Amino acid sequence: MPDQLRLRLLGLSLFLTVASLANAQSIEFTKEQFKDNRDGLKNAQRELKAGDEAYLADPVRYTLASPHYLAAQELNPDNAELNVKIGDCYLHSGTKALALSYLQHAQTLAPANDPRTHYLLARALHLNAKWAAAIKEYQASTPMGGSKAAAGELTVTAEDLARRIRECRNGQELQKHPARVFVDNAGPEVNSAYSDYGPLVAADEATMLFTSRRPNGPNAPKDPAGDSYFEDIYQSTLLGKKWSPATNLGAPVNSKGHDATVGLAPDGQRLLVYADESGGDLQESNLRGAAWEKPQRLSNRINSKYHESSASYSPDGRYLYFVSDKPEGGRGGHDIYKVELAGNKPAENLGSTINTPYGEEGVFMMPDGKTMYFSSEGHNSMGGYDIFKSVVENGKWSEPENLGWPINTPDDDVFFVTSASGRHGYYSSDRPGGLGSKDIYRITFLGPEKPPMLSEENQLLASRLAPITQTALAPPVILATAKVTILKGTVTDALTKQPLEAIIDLIDNTSSQSIATFHSNATSGKYLVSLPSGTNYGIVVRQDGYLFHSENFDLPADATYAEVVKDIPLKKLEVGVVIVLSNIFFDTGKATLRPESTAELERLQKLLTEQPTIKLEIAGHTDNVGKPAANQDLSQRRAQAVVAYLTQHGIASDRLTAAGYGDTRPVSANTTKLGRQLNRRTEFKVTGK
Amino acid sequence: MMRITTLLAWGIGAVALLGATPVFAQVDSVRASTLPGRQVAEKAYNAGLASFTARNYPAALTSFNQALAAKPDFAAAYANRAATRLALKEYSAAVADYDQALKLEPSTYAAYFGRGQAREAAGQAPEAEADYSEALKANPAYAPAWYNRGVLRFEHGEYQAAHDDFSGAVKADSTYAYAYHDRASASLRLGNYAAAVPDYSRALALQPTLLPALLNRAAAERRTGQLTEALRDYDAYLTQKTDNALAFSNRGNARFDNKDYAGAVADFTRAITLDAKYAYAWNNRAAAELKLEQYAKANADATEAIRLNAKYAEAYLNRGHAREMLRQADEACQDWRQAAALGLAVGNSYAAAAGCAGQAAEQ
Repeated sequence: MPDQLRLRLLGLSLFLTVASLANAQSIEFTKEQFKDNRDGLKNAQRELKAGDEAYLADPVRYTLASPHYLAAQELNPDNAELNVKIGDCYLHSGTKALALSYLQHAQTLAPANDPRTHYLLARALHLNAKWAAAIKEYQASTPMGGSKAAAGELTVTAEDLARRIRECRNGQELQKHPARVFVDNAGPEVNSAYSDYGPLVAADEATMLFTSRRPNGPNAPKDPAGDSYFEDIYQSTLLGKKWSPATNLGAPVNSKGHDATVGLAPDGQRLLVYADESGGDLQESNLRGAAWEKPQRLSNRINSKYHESSASYSPDGRYLYFVSDKPEGGRGGHDIYKVELAGNKPAENLGSTINTPYGEEGVFMMPDGKTMYFSSEGHNSMGGYDIFKSVVENGKWSEPENLGWPINTPDDDVFFVTSASGRHGYYSSDRPGGLGSKDIYRITFLGPEKPPMLSEENQLLASRLAPITQTALAPPVILATAKVTILKGTVTDALTKQPLEAIIDLIDNTSSQSIATFHSNATSGKYLVSLPSGTNYGIVVRQDGYLFHSENFDLPADATYAEVVKDIPLKKLEVGVVIVLSNIFFDTGKATLRPESTAELERLQKLLTEQPTIKLEIAGHTDNVGKPAANQDLSQRRAQAVVAYLTQHGIASDRLTAAGYGDTRPVSANTTKLGRQLNRRTEFKVTGK
Repeated sequence: MMRITTLLAWGIGAVALLGATPVFAQVDSVRASTLPGRQVAEKAYNAGLASFTARNYPAALTSFNQALAAKPDFAAAYANRAATRLALKEYSAAVADYDQALKLEPSTYAAYFGRGQAREAAGQAPEAEADYSEALKANPAYAPAWYNRGVLRFEHGEYQAAHDDFSGAVKADSTYAYAYHDRASASLRLGNYAAAVPDYSRALALQPTLLPALLNRAAAERRTGQLTEALRDYDAYLTQKTDNALAFSNRGNARFDNKDYAGAVADFTRAITLDAKYAYAWNNRAAAELKLEQYAKANADATEAIRLNAKYAEAYLNRGHAREMLRQADEACQDWRQAAALGLAVGNSYAAAAGCAGQAAEQ
């Protein structure tokens, strides 16, 4: 690859640069530094010399140089020049990422600020996916070398630097959204310490064919063009979940030269192989029973004198997609072409949607005939070859989609194939953690993220959570209560205290009509009168030979049940006897007789008529509310009002006198409402007989 | 009222009669003719009501028994004795008394409503619903009947009918907080989250102590993507009530939706601390741990959820996800298949995509 050459030159250049950077921190391999270990120093110097022979060879033999340098490093790990050399060797090995720690250590020992140092550090950081730091180092570097560069000097163009920075930025973006995959090393049964790549997997994943540069025997010859052995094709079968130990496919497929896997027909009966002939050609081998036949070179419509390196059959076997770096019709580097096997038309470049000015490699067509996987150094690669996917619809290829991190890495990720189910992919990748150089990895595609499922419950019915009592009860019954006042007592002779059978008149004062008439018991004198509420009752107890006795019960409609005991002593007609006229009523504060007084007045008139000789003093009394003079005046006027009524109804005025006593003759204490009510009264007193 | 008016009128008439026909030395007859009867049934009935109000149900029962002994056709006494028996959880006896009350006085909404309650309590939901309907025929303005029927319909999954009943309840009583709340819940179940939110708000305005409304409003807001509002409601709820595992678990879900997976784990952990048997919290914490790529923890939590509820489909599904990432492919396949067998069809899809061996699980 062109990049390999550039890096090799870079290493040489760096060495020349760093060699001049003697620094106090860098420890040299000198007697002064290792006075006590002369033998160790000698051995280290011997290793350094052997390493340098390989390192300064043309071409550079990094693989040979590296063990010698690492042996010298054991004695003196703090020599800047040696650390740079080791780092450079790693950058050209199958474990490129290891270069970083040596190059960074060298910078610590002998700081350098030249474009080459920055570029070399940038490459190591880039290969370790240290995107931001790599960008910083690339930006610190400048173009170098070019057409005027000395032989072996590193050449880096401005476009190279810009491209690397783009790759780092692609990596930053792609790493933000990692692909949901498992990437597993195929294991030591398949992979070796050497490059293992180009996996071809049968549709059912039961068999794998791949290429390895491991030695195929004890005396296996090496490729004179490099440090590795020749490519051979190996086979492994899946036993349960593990691959069987790989076996060399042997002749006639494998030859003494390079033989590499390229593609497998969907039915597994035809194998495409790469042979190092005519600049690199594609051949086809057919499976005859259990044995592969000797591969035959494909037609000139496919092969050229240039490098044809990869191919894939279409599912129906009519077409072949292949990779060639032939300049005619190419867009730069290796491109992907399509050719109809049975026709005569020349191969067709897949166009700029797929092919870039950089290399495309490892084409693989899915069994659906539409989805193509391939590797490219262009598009939005994060470095080296990345694997892309594109789908053809009506002859038009979709924009290639980078399969993303962690399938792709900053180094080469190539030769991707999938199982028929699409569940697994196989490819070769140069990444940390492998068994050495490129290894074959299996990708398990997990598909879109499987959303976790949450559970939730809610307390949706309020009454189920906090029950409420909603009782619809029939209402209470309103009891038929006795809205009456029971008036009871004993009627006696006031003087002898003997029980009397008296007549009890119940009068509605409002209408002056008699409601009922009762008698007290002749023997006991007891009486009981029921007074339903809602009436202003006048009660008159009378008996022949006695003055009548009047009581008043004004019972409003809502007056509840009550019992009143009232013993009534009837008084005989004697001078000096005083009778309270309980049913004479005046307007408040006035001397105007109210209509409810009529019955009582008529009784008084009747008494005077029936007893024509008696003379009466009509007396008015008040409570002590108000001024005494006013009370006296009011009581006087009320007494006169009664006298006036009687005289107007035929009673001689000389039989009557009116007296107002104001509040001077109370019959009860004025401290209570009831007492004051009793004191507000009209009386008559017999003054003559 | 009619009854008492009649008695009084009769009493005065008797007095008038006595007045027209003087009675001598028979004063006791005055008392006999003007006082009402003993009213044993009525007094016992009222005493029963007073005892019921004081929640002294055994005393109430005794009083209503006395009322009915004195007056076997006392419909109101049957109805209230039924209510007493309902309070005493003697449901069949309560139903029998309501039957008798309705026989004596048909079309009494209160008796239908009470019998509906008794039947509902006895697990006879269809009969209860029929009684609530009869109560509403007799008195369409009786909000509790609308509400109770709505609850039954909600529980039967008849969310639209329940929604309509709760609407009837709030129409009859615009201050009925529970009816607004449950109408919101019906809207929630009908997927009408936008309608649910204002009803929950109304319920809260009417009854600020109705905390479940906060919880449920948050659920509605979460479903409409109003995560800020949902989290605010959950916070308000949990400030007032800190011992509800369910609430912590639900806030965890909202935090999960808000991509605050660490916060979600904290809530689920709090829920588990409050109630270690709350399988939902274990499962949900497993889900959040999946997001945090803590697959071993997720596996363990989902396993605990399954231990608590062996038929927990979601937990099987989540454990399958965890096990897939733990590279336990066969176990993941089993879990996905089990989730599918328990009703989550997507489990079969996952199993198929992962290349699991065997047939899809039948639900």
